[in-house]
Amino acid sequence: MNSQIRKLGLFIVVLFLVLFVQMNNIQVFSAAALNNRPENSRRVVADFRAPRGSIIASDGVVLANSVPSNDQYKYQRQYPTGDLFGNVTGFFSFNYGAEGVERSYNDELVGKKLRLQSLDNLLADQNTTNDITLTLSNRLQSVAKEALGKYKGAVVAIDPKTGGILAMYSNPSYDPSLLASHDFPAVADAYPKLIKSTDKPALPRGYRERYVPGSTFKVVTASAAYEHKADLVRKRYPTMQALPLPNSGGRSLRNFGGETCGGSLPSLLRVSCNSGFGQMGIDLGATNMINQAEAFGFNSQPPIDMPSAAKSAFPNQNFFRGNVPGLALSAIGQQNVSATPLQMAMVAGGIANGGVVMTPHVMKEVRNRQGEVVVEEPIKTWRRATSSETASKMTDNMIQVSANGTATGARIPGIEVGAKTGTAETTENRINAWLISFAPAKDPKIAVAVILEDQVGNSDATGGRLAAPIAKQVMSTYLSEDIPKSTPKVKKKR
Amino acid sequence: MKLLSRIPKASNRNQELGLLILVSVVVAGAYTLATLGVTASVPADIIPFLVLMFLLFAAAHVTMRRLAPRADGTLLPVAILLNGIGYVFIARLDADKAAPQATWSALAVIAFFATLYFLRSVRDLQKYRYSLAFIGLILLIAPAFLGTEINGAKNWLQLGPFSFQPSEVAKICLAVFFTSYVIEKRELLATATRKLGPLMVPDLKHFIPLLGCWLIAISVVAFENDLGTALLVFCLLITVLYVGTGRAIYLILGGILVFVGGLLAFTQFGHVQTRVNIWLHPFADADGRGYQLVQSLFAMASGGITGSGLGLGEPTKIPIVYADFIFAAISEELGLLGGTVILTSYVLFVGIGLRIAMRANNQFEKLLAAGLTAIIGLQSFIIIAGVIRVIPLTGITLPWVSYGGSSLITNYVLLALLLRISDSEQKEEDELREREVVAA
Repeated sequence: MNSQIRKLGLFIVVLFLVLFVQMNNIQVFSAAALNNRPENSRRVVADFRAPRGSIIASDGVVLANSVPSNDQYKYQRQYPTGDLFGNVTGFFSFNYGAEGVERSYNDELVGKKLRLQSLDNLLADQNTTNDITLTLSNRLQSVAKEALGKYKGAVVAIDPKTGGILAMYSNPSYDPSLLASHDFPAVADAYPKLIKSTDKPALPRGYRERYVPGSTFKVVTASAAYEHKADLVRKRYPTMQALPLPNSGGRSLRNFGGETCGGSLPSLLRVSCNSGFGQMGIDLGATNMINQAEAFGFNSQPPIDMPSAAKSAFPNQNFFRGNVPGLALSAIGQQNVSATPLQMAMVAGGIANGGVVMTPHVMKEVRNRQGEVVVEEPIKTWRRATSSETASKMTDNMIQVSANGTATGARIPGIEVGAKTGTAETTENRINAWLISFAPAKDPKIAVAVILEDQVGNSDATGGRLAAPIAKQVMSTYLSEDIPKSTPKVKKKR
Repeated sequence: MKLLSRIPKASNRNQELGLLILVSVVVAGAYTLATLGVTASVPADIIPFLVLMFLLFAAAHVTMRRLAPRADGTLLPVAILLNGIGYVFIARLDADKAAPQATWSALAVIAFFATLYFLRSVRDLQKYRYSLAFIGLILLIAPAFLGTEINGAKNWLQLGPFSFQPSEVAKICLAVFFTSYVIEKRELLATATRKLGPLMVPDLKHFIPLLGCWLIAISVVAFENDLGTALLVFCLLITVLYVGTGRAIYLILGGILVFVGGLLAFTQFGHVQTRVNIWLHPFADADGRGYQLVQSLFAMASGGITGSGLGLGEPTKIPIVYADFIFAAISEELGLLGGTVILTSYVLFVGIGLRIAMRANNQFEKLLAAGLTAIIGLQSFIIIAGVIRVIPLTGITLPWVSYGGSSLITNYVLLALLLRISDSEQKEEDELREREVVAA
């Protein structure tokens, strides 16, 4: 019997080894994932009663801070700027967890947990919270909000050289104070209304909503020509009113307003010629188009320090197989192409920055109680979208778009501006108006994407007419006023 | 040589005393920390119960010195450690349960004493095998007719103000019966007479008890929703059959029956299906049916490697944490390290128990020791595995740690049986040596 008893012992030891492995899995390897699950209220309860650092704009305006409260939760979170930064700071709510910077920088805001509660008195200063300074300024954000006015949509401004977000306003917005209240029934009442509202005030359009990019995407198509098929740059596209689409049952790709256009790449871009770019997409082929779109960041989640950033989408090889019309439509940013305003700001920023797209971020620095910087601005290259030669040619082309093309509304006296308009058809006679731009074109300090949802119109001039002034106002304010700049690290580029 | 290797009689007990003092220091320290964490001051009214616990440990040790002086000296301290840690956690999780748990521990130690006092030789139990089989069966089945449902399983009997879990007692009765049965029919059970495909197997009629037990286990699942007990009892029979006969066919057949039974239970009984679904997708209904398991996982994750510290976690977020889920509470507050201590304690217990089995000379005692040890190993595995989502959750207690009287009493009796077997074998060995010494 002893040999069976030995086997029994071995078997039980194996069973317990399985338990040990699973315990390691739960308590070590999956612990962070479990701790961060939305159903998990443990952390929120602990965090909610703890002091919490402030979120501060780059020009010193306090966007979120905690003040002592007289109830059991000890601190009340408040958002002094109301709805101006609602979709950036996000909220910190007992009922609904956290969103925005409150979520992505929760660890830093809370600071190190002090485990030894009973030794309170031995520690002089037990507050280990940190303050987050953002790359966004209150001033530029206010300008973006004002410029958007009543338009539904978003403005994203980015420093092309660092990737720092300078402004990111989504209209309509909301006041996070609504959700940070300790009056939990009121919060439980407010939150569903906010989520269900057809205006989507709680949606951070800047990085989480995708729109058909329309003609702004022609910047990507044009870059693909320079990068992958340089002979197309010299090709003269025939002047026509509409490009007949092969294998589509007689459909054709019309130019807006029935205009005729044609010529070589720079002039196609200047007037935003659909027939020309449609043919250019067909000439480039699916592989080149996909490669170029992905080089700018399409089909990847942007590594921004905000929660749940949306991927911008460009169709895959299968979609284009035997689908030439699809290729033509994708080349002008229609059909299955979709992009976040952030992505389009990065397209403009990438061209402006010599073809290099920087990692987008909102955090300028994290400081501890003693005022020491504990985390520095995360300035990093995300990806190389084009060669510097392509970027420089595209910069010249985009300058022409604002100088005497569709984006004259973005011109700033005395400063060269690179721009591209977009008018994406959503339904009959309804469009999304776009503008992407950067300035000063030869030494870029700011790149902007503006999207206005659901406007009336049917000409490509519409995007330029509506969106360009907004971009212009944001750029000129940033360039003319003394707004703290995102500071590029002194680093040799290779 | 023989003289040199001879162990002085008192050494096992002195070892036990040393270990018990160590365990008491650990438990007292843990208790102080726990109360510091929860209320920042030790609540004076439950200190007497802690003192009572230490008196009980001492009583158990004195019992050993008097009644089983030659038994292994390490088994009792392991059980006491588990009991002590369990007590600290129950007091910390629900102060109202400290007094009852201390009382139950007292009754359990009395049962421990009584077992060692009245039962001078474990093989005497063989005489009562049919009575014990009958009692075990009644205890197993009675709750289906007379039982009350507590926390989802109808495996409780209500006796005046007390409720007790008869299935806990049944497992020892059945262990004794299974063992005597296998020992009695061992030759027949182990002799392969029939050919089944490539395998030589014993006569088919010898599988009837196995099938009978299987049917009973299925009905326990069906009528009492007590998956844990059903699984434990059936695995115990397979273990005893295999260890007793050395025939792998019992393992294979047993495995198939467990699988078929599981499948049957899953397809036929809604409550089993629910448990399996919770196991597979705990987060699908995280606020409803999956709540307990999900909170258990969150508790353990928040504990991490070193734990939140005793009294500093939030294990009470898990409903009825002091019973089946106490392991999650320990893992939260003492972390992976603390959980590993618990695991190690059970592995140690199993190791010592099986060593006792291997050294036993009497076949019945050998097999019974292995079976009783397997009960502890399997039962602790089944409940911990359920709590940490290795298998579907089955309501069953964590031996010595979980809150509950029937479980504590039964496990102390089980401990007493193992120690009695250990004492007998040492006594026989010593007598044999003395004879040899005399003869030399």
